[in-house]
Parts: sequence; structure tokens; C-alpha cells
Amino acid sequence: MTRRILSGVLGVVIALVVGAIIMLIEGYEPLATYGALAQFSLGGIGPLTTTLKNSVPLVLTGLSAAIAFASGPVNLGQPGQLVFGALAATLGGLYISLPPVLEIPLLLLLAIAGGALWSGLAGLMKQAFGMSEFIVTLMLNMIADFFTAWVIAYPLMDRKAFSPMTPPIARSGWMPDIGPLNSSVLLMLAAVVVMWFVFQRWRAGYEWRITGQNSLFARLGGCDVRGNFMAVMLVTGALAGLAGGLVVMGGPHRFLKGLGANYAWDGIMIAIMANNGLVETLIYGVFVAAIQTGALGMELITNVPSEIAQVLQAVLVLVIVATREYAAVVFDRLAARRQARERAA
Amino acid sequence: MNIIVGLITGMISGATPILLAALGGAFTFYAGIFNIAMEGMMLMAAFFAVLGSFLFHSWLVGLLFAIAGAMILALIFIFFSVTLNTDEFVTGIALNLFALGSTTYLLRQIFKVKGVFTSKLIDSIPNIHFPLIEKIPLLGPVVSGRNLIVYLAVIATIFCYYLVFKTRFGLRLRAAGYNPNSLDSSGVRTSRMRIQSLLLCAVFCGLAGAFLSLGYVTLFAENMTAGRGWISLAAIILVDGHPYGIALISLLFGFFDGLGLFLQGYGVSSQFTSMVPYIATLGALYVYARRNRERERNAL
Amino acid sequence: MDDFISLEHMVKVYPPRVLAVDNVSVGFQKGEIHSIVGENGAGKSTLMKLLYGLVPFDSGVVKINGAAVHFRKPGDAIAMGIGMVHQEIELISQYTVWENVVLGAEPVRGGIGGTLDSARAIELVRRKIDEFQFNLDPSAQVERISVAALQKVEILKLLYRNVSVLILDEPTSVLTPQEIPQLFAELKRLRDKDTTILFISHRLDEVLELSDRITVMRKGKKIATVAASETNKEALAQMMVGRQVIFTSKRTPHPRGDRVFEAKGLSVTRHDGLKLLDNVSFSVHAGEIVGIAGVEGNGQFELVNSVMGLAAPTSGSITVNGGGITKLSILERRKLISFVPQDRGKMGASLPASILDNAIMTHHRLEPRFSAWRGLVLNYRNARAFTDTLAKRFSVQMASRQSPFRSLSGGNQQKLILGREFLLSTPFFLMDQPTRGLDVGSIEYVHGEILSMREANRAVLLISADLEELFLIADRILVMHRGRIVADLVAEQTNIEEVGRYMLEGKITA
Repeated sequence: MTRRILSGVLGVVIALVVGAIIMLIEGYEPLATYGALAQFSLGGIGPLTTTLKNSVPLVLTGLSAAIAFASGPVNLGQPGQLVFGALAATLGGLYISLPPVLEIPLLLLLAIAGGALWSGLAGLMKQAFGMSEFIVTLMLNMIADFFTAWVIAYPLMDRKAFSPMTPPIARSGWMPDIGPLNSSVLLMLAAVVVMWFVFQRWRAGYEWRITGQNSLFARLGGCDVRGNFMAVMLVTGALAGLAGGLVVMGGPHRFLKGLGANYAWDGIMIAIMANNGLVETLIYGVFVAAIQTGALGMELITNVPSEIAQVLQAVLVLVIVATREYAAVVFDRLAARRQARERAA
Repeated sequence: MNIIVGLITGMISGATPILLAALGGAFTFYAGIFNIAMEGMMLMAAFFAVLGSFLFHSWLVGLLFAIAGAMILALIFIFFSVTLNTDEFVTGIALNLFALGSTTYLLRQIFKVKGVFTSKLIDSIPNIHFPLIEKIPLLGPVVSGRNLIVYLAVIATIFCYYLVFKTRFGLRLRAAGYNPNSLDSSGVRTSRMRIQSLLLCAVFCGLAGAFLSLGYVTLFAENMTAGRGWISLAAIILVDGHPYGIALISLLFGFFDGLGLFLQGYGVSSQFTSMVPYIATLGALYVYARRNRERERNAL
Repeated sequence: MDDFISLEHMVKVYPPRVLAVDNVSVGFQKGEIHSIVGENGAGKSTLMKLLYGLVPFDSGVVKINGAAVHFRKPGDAIAMGIGMVHQEIELISQYTVWENVVLGAEPVRGGIGGTLDSARAIELVRRKIDEFQFNLDPSAQVERISVAALQKVEILKLLYRNVSVLILDEPTSVLTPQEIPQLFAELKRLRDKDTTILFISHRLDEVLELSDRITVMRKGKKIATVAASETNKEALAQMMVGRQVIFTSKRTPHPRGDRVFEAKGLSVTRHDGLKLLDNVSFSVHAGEIVGIAGVEGNGQFELVNSVMGLAAPTSGSITVNGGGITKLSILERRKLISFVPQDRGKMGASLPASILDNAIMTHHRLEPRFSAWRGLVLNYRNARAFTDTLAKRFSVQMASRQSPFRSLSGGNQQKLILGREFLLSTPFFLMDQPTRGLDVGSIEYVHGEILSMREANRAVLLISADLEELFLIADRILVMHRGRIVADLVAEQTNIEEVGRYMLEGKITA
């Protein structure tokens, strides 16, 4: 446990150092840049709540990817499932108007259903025809992207807007602010808790975990491997769909062009950094959100382009994972060498 | 008549980047690496091709820059995956992200633009004309006048086949994938073959990327590979890496790519025509999965 | 006489802290057959891999003709004339014999990447085959030749590289009793041509027959090096295990009960028409241990898959307690069948999961006390209690219930799996090589437990490649050969030689 935290922290530190070296090469002041990054993401109630709100889609898609990877299915379809969830919630919000107590749960359910529909499609292709979900979900991402682009450019286009987007959804479907904090953050935390409970305490979660580690063993042990596969696909799609719904309902309150592209690989990246741990996903999700949020402010005062956040993220993933895996090897080798020296003496 | 020629030339242009990237990926496939970084390598190459060509007003420099750009990713891949033993899938995903992030960043940093960069100063890769062949009706306009990279891709396919199946290098390369222990105990280091396969992959993805930004069009756009790396991965898996099979599958994808453009001319909205290659990939996967499943059913 | 090769003070610790070779010094002479014997895990293979440069060592010196050498990779060792054939045959099944032999030392005609000169390669390989009378076809596809032939290809691969030292790691474990004398004759012929042969084994009869000298290892340490002519089986066994070993069966007569398991006309046909399982019929009764002998790959795999429900047989039926199971799901089968697979990490457990998670597998579905809320939630309190009971009853040594399964030693892993399956109250028990890779103590334990299942009147089907094991505990021995059951023998009325004959030839020829 301590070793896990240690190698995680070490990975972040090394990654930040690598990032600093890149900034130095580019002629920027690393400390000032990181300072600005922190200031605009964590420095005060305003930035902090913005970071938390921005972390919602990251954590939820991360959770989706983490649960999928830990359970076996290589669901890389979070981007597609997210835009489908967003689209479903938008559709509901455009055509149905109820009081908030009904409207909000309804739109959330629609978002969940939209995401699950798109992941279920991939799951079905695997179950019925044996098509590998790995490539199928990737292709469905592209298709979902083009499809929603069409929807907001033609049937649902807001004629008053300059770029393709839908009109705003019904006011009663907006996620309310609780003080400075948007309520979507609470929903995200609830989702993490519920999924942790399902994964660690439910019988289904037990079978998912074991199947992810060794599916032949699980199958021989009497687990319903096929049923579990479909369940995991649906649940992880639902999580990504929920992320999409909350992006619309908590933020711009409409489906904007390029909504999906912003979160394309972030969820998968966060799951990888978190080594598919659910609590770790929450931590890394907020961390990445802080970098993304801070980058926009940083650009204003340091004239470092905000795009450097993307480079930094990729460096983070690689270095954190490599550090974790290599640290384990090094620890083991050191222990071995110590023992060898004793025996040879 | 013109429609057919148009469709075929469209097919060839669509097939070329996928073919080259897939041939590159085939080397790593045979070497036993789960390499999904073709997308990133191509994207880096596309950017550096434009950079080189813009700076030196020479497509040849652009081409060399492209290969160097892809090579950067290959070297990082080698460092993490072969040297540090980091998971190949994770390395690949991170590298694709890195390529996307750094090209977007550099686009802003070097060219001071967001989204797309184009300039009159960029020298594009020339088309090659064969005066004699050109006169032949139907065949002439298809065979002659294509981009240099297209012809290179044809040569590359044959070269790839020869290298993989007829040479000492190929024998060792495939051994690295089939049974690394066997190769190691034969006195050849598997890691060396893997490194070489990644470097070769970078060269091919470099050509593919250069074709995208200096051949197909003359500009660089953010994320301009648009999933072609993934389609090339699908192509490799569908034919178990065989170069001629890859060529065939790439032409098929190229055809659907061309078909999409063609349909656009008939008023189908671009969002739907752009989906066509991805739907075609799903179709190909379906056929592959069915064939596999039948084989499995018979096997047990 | 000075040693040709000498290993001095070799130490190897596998990370994190498995001490595999513990300060071992040993010398080998030119033109001798020198056996290294020891139990599984005694470090004999590791010691040879250190010499071969396949595994880096932590300290020690390797000398050849008195000069220190350091091999960083097998290629270096081969260049110095030392070659090793591994326990698992490591050939490339997609390649032909000649491609496998020349790999890494290919004749080429030049050109980019080096164009293979296949005609010359085939000729060179053929010449080596003739020189050593190996009876192989250089152009045969490796996946289509027998295990004994595979081994010859491995040896040929080294002879092609002109090695003068051959290391063989348990080469007889995959051979039938009848194939072994031929291998030994070939090895002795090689020795007479001044090749040094280092022979790793734990089968003492073979070692005594073949070797000039024998080095015994135990728990990473060298115990002694003795001349084969000056020792015997009992003395070797005592050095190997560290105590006296009994070579006789502890099986006592036990009445057999009703028929529990029955297979009728079971067949599995491959897509090309080859019958992997050919009309197999047999039954197992309560309180009876039925052993299945046979060289691996003669239908055992298909039999296990058919019984467990991993793959449906092409035809035939299986019944347990009179009810057909061929149509049942795996879960429904598991109410009737306990199963110990041959590969713990692949089929019997999840290595990264906790010991607890591994202990409750299958029980979590079959026993109501492990779940609450109509099966939605697992009852971890009962699961913890169960894991502790299981560990205590089957003496599993573990740090904690939450430690990963992989942290257990091989013997403890097998005890946990065995206990888990034993505690499922099933009438029928299928065991596929349950003692593979275990040390003598664990093997004795597992045998004792199998016998106690027999006492508990359960029907046991034991698949094993180890004939001695079958003779120690089985009541009846069935022999599988090319997918068919070619003999059904009562253990007391047969012997190892007869079973071996059936394994090899499928019938007894006069």
C-alpha cells in the first residue's frame, strides 16, 4: 500500500520534472508556469469549484474505463458513449419540460440509457458475432462523432447560433448550483461510491474482477462470463453516458460542436494512470482536471499556450505507469541483490 | 467512364496511407508487439512533413522530417516498452495522446495558428507522369499521374513481403513473435528484433503521414489522421499481417473512402459520407469474426 | 584430471527474494555424462541457465579450461560450444525442421536483410542428421512431428552450431518408457565423440543408468558429487530429499460403490476430420480412483474440456449419478464435479486476486451462506471464516487472507485449490496432473488427500503423465493413445512396462 502511494507520488514528481524540462527547452519559466497552473485550478474557492466541476466527465469516463479494463472488456468507447448520453439528455431537455425534481432525474436516466445503448451495441456485436470490442468501440466512437455532428448541424441546429449547436435545454433540466459548487460534482462522488460498492462487495463485482484477471478460471468456477461481459459493457457505457448528460446539464446546457472531442481519450488515460483502481481514478481525475483548468488561466498570465497541458498529460501517463511498473522491478531487484550478497559472503 | 476513373483514383488515394501504416505495423505485429501507435506516428509525421517542407521549401526535406517525426515516437516506444518493459498498450495510447497534444501545441507554437495550417511555401510531393502509359485509355489515367508516395507504397508492399518471408531478417522477425524464447536461445536477442521492427514501422508511418499532409492535401490539420491508424491496425489483424492481404484490405477501405467522397457529390451530407470507412471496418470485422468462429467451432 | 568447465560459488536470487542457487561450486569434465539431480525447485535448471547465460547470476565465476568467461546471452555460450535444450520444448511450430535448426545461424546469399539460401540450409541440416543418425526430415513442419522428434530437433539445432557441451533439462519427462533407451543410446554415442553432456533429471533410475557422475542439489545447495558406479537409488533419494523416502504405495483395499461417472462413446473431431477423442467409454465408481495414463496430447485435453463443459464433444454422452451433463452449463456441472486443473495459474486460480477471493470461487455461487440480498451482495464475514477453515484444514501457509494468491508457494497454492474443490460436496472429482511441479513433501500430501477422498466414497478420475504416481494411488489404470482408450488395467495386475507399451504403441505386440 505505502509502496503504491510512494511510486504514484514518485511518478507524478518525475513527470512534472520532465514537463519542466520541456518548458525550459521551449524557453518558459517552469516554476512560474506551474505556479500559475496551481493558482488557477486550486487557489481559492472559485478555481477549486471550477476544477471539481470540470473533473466530472473526466472522473466518470475514467471510472467507466477503469471498471471495463479491470473486468476484461476492452471498452475504448467512452467518447462515443459520452456523446450519445449527451445527445439523449439534450433531446429530452429540448422536447420534455417537467418540474426540476422530475426533469433532472429523467434527463439523467436518458443520458445513462444513451450511453448504455451505444456500448450495448458494441457488446452485442461481440456476443452475437464475436467481433472484438476493442476495434468496434473505436469505430463506433468515430461514427457517433459524425452522427452527433450531423444532428446538431441539421435537425437540431439552433438557427440563431454562429456554429453548429442545439438550442438550450429546458431550464428545469439544469443541474443547480449549491453555493459555489455545481451539484453534478455530488452526483459524480455518489457514482464513485456506488461503483466501489458494486465492484468490491457485490457478487457480480467479484465475478467481474476475477474474470478481468483470469477469465478461464472464472468460467471454470461457474461464473456467468458472458452475462457479466454484457453487464460490464452496459454499466461502463452508462457511466460514460452519465458523464455526457452532466456535461450538458451542468455546463453550456446545450450540445455544442466538438463536445466529445474534448474528452476523447481522457477517461482511458486516467484509468491507466490509476491502474484501474476506483479511488485512484477519482484522485487522478481531479488532478488532470486541475491541469486542464489551470492551463486556461496560465495562458493568460504566462503566455505559455494552454495546449501544453495536453503534452503534459501524455507525459504524465507514460511516466506514472513506467515508474510504477519499473519501481516494482527495482524494489524486487534490490531485495534480491541484498540477499545474494549475504549468501556469497 | 470518368466516374469509374474518379472512383479508382479516389480509392488509391484513400488506400495509400492505410496501406503504408499497416505495412509498418505488420513488422511490429510479426515481432510480437501489440503496437497501436501507428495513429500517433502518422500524425507526428504529417506535422513534421509540413514543417520540413515549409522551412526548406522542399518536399524531400519534408519527407525526411516526416520519418524523423515518426522516429521520435518509435524511440520513446522503444525506451518505455522494450527497455523499461512498460505495458505496450499503455505506451501506445500515451504516445497517441502525446502525438495529438504535441502537434496541436507545436502548431500553435511554431505557426501561431489553431486548427489548420497551410501556406504557399509548402512544397508538396509531386505526382509522377508516365507519358507512354498515360495515353492508354482507362488504364492510363489510373496508373499514371499518381503521387510519388503511391508508387512507393506499391514497391513497399513487395519489399515488405520479400523482407518478411524470404530473408534472414524475416525469419528472425517472425520468430520473435511466434516464440521469443526460442529465438533468444538461438542466440538472437528478441529485443533487438523488436527495436528494429519499431524503427521500420516508423519509416513506413513516416511515409504515410507525409502522404497525408504533402500528397493527399497540402496542409496540416489537428488530428488529421482521423483514426486511419486504427483502421490500419484492423487491416493487420484481419489478414494476420500478410503484406499482400494488407494491400487488398487497404484498397477495400480506400474504395469506401472514395465512395464517401463520391456520394457527397450527390448531396449526401458530409457527416454521413465520412462514416463510411468506419462502417466498412465494422463490416470487415464481422466477416473476419464469422470466419474465425466457424474455424473455432470446427476445431472443437 | 582438471575440470573442463567449472562453476565456482554461484549465487542466484530471483527477485524479490527466491534464493534459487545458493553458493554452488561444481566441475564438469570433457566427454562425461554428468547428471544434476534434485527435486522440483532444487535449483538444478537455474544453475544450468546461469552457465548458459540465459539467466544473469548475482555472484560466482564460470571457468572454461581454467579461464574465466562471462556469457551475457545464450549466443555467447553457443559461440564457446555450449548448448542447452530446455525442459519445455521451445521450437517454432510454424516453421519447418530446417528453419528451426538454422535460426540464428542462417546461410544467406546477401542482399537487404540477407536472402535466405534455403537449398544450402536444407543440405547442411541433412548432413548433420545423417552424421548423427537422427532419422528426421528437414522439410517437415514442426507442428506435425512427434515429441521425441522435437527433442531431436532441439539437439540437432545445437549440433548444427558445433557445440561440444550439451545441457539437457529433463529431456525424458515428455518421452514414453520405450523412447528413452533410444535417446540414451544417442547421448552415449555423442559422449564417445567427446561431447560433454549435462543431464538434468529427478528420475533416479534413468540417472543411474546413463551417467558417469552425479551431482545432487537440494534447496539451491549442492549436496554432493558422486560417481554413478558408487551410489544407488536410495542413497541419492535421501540426499535429494533430506530424509528417507518410501517408494511403496500407502493404498489400502477399499470396496468400490455405485457407478458415479460414465462416459459413453465420447468423440471429438477436429475440422480436418482427425479424431482427437475417439469413441471413449469408461466409468468411475464411488470410492474408486481411476487413473488415465498416456503421453500428453493423446486426447486428455479434449476429455477434460468435454467433462468440464469448455467445449462440446462431437458425439457421445457423459453422465454423473445417472443424469446426463452434456447439456448443462458449467455452473450446473460444478454442483456435481470438483476439478483440479493441471495449470494452477491458468485454470485453477487468479494469481493477482487475494487468497480469499480464490478460496470462495464456485462456493460463492453454490452455497447460500456466501451471499445476502438474494445473491446480490457477497457475505464477506462468512467468506473470511471459510477461508480460515480451509487454510487450517489443508495446512496452507499464508501471510494473510488478503495477500495475493501468487505470494503462496507452489505447494500451498495447490493445497488451497485442492481444499476448495474438496469442500464442494460433489460426488465426482476430476484431477488433471495435480502434482505437476510440486516438491516431494507436497506430492505426498496431495496423494494422501486423494486417498482420503476415496475413503470418503467419492469417485476420482486422475489424469497423470507420471506412471509412478498412478501406480502409487490408482485402483485402475486406463491408457489413452491417439484419442482412444486402449487398455483398462487393474493396478495390481499390471506393471509400468506394460502401461508404457500401451502408451507408445496403443497395443501390445508380441
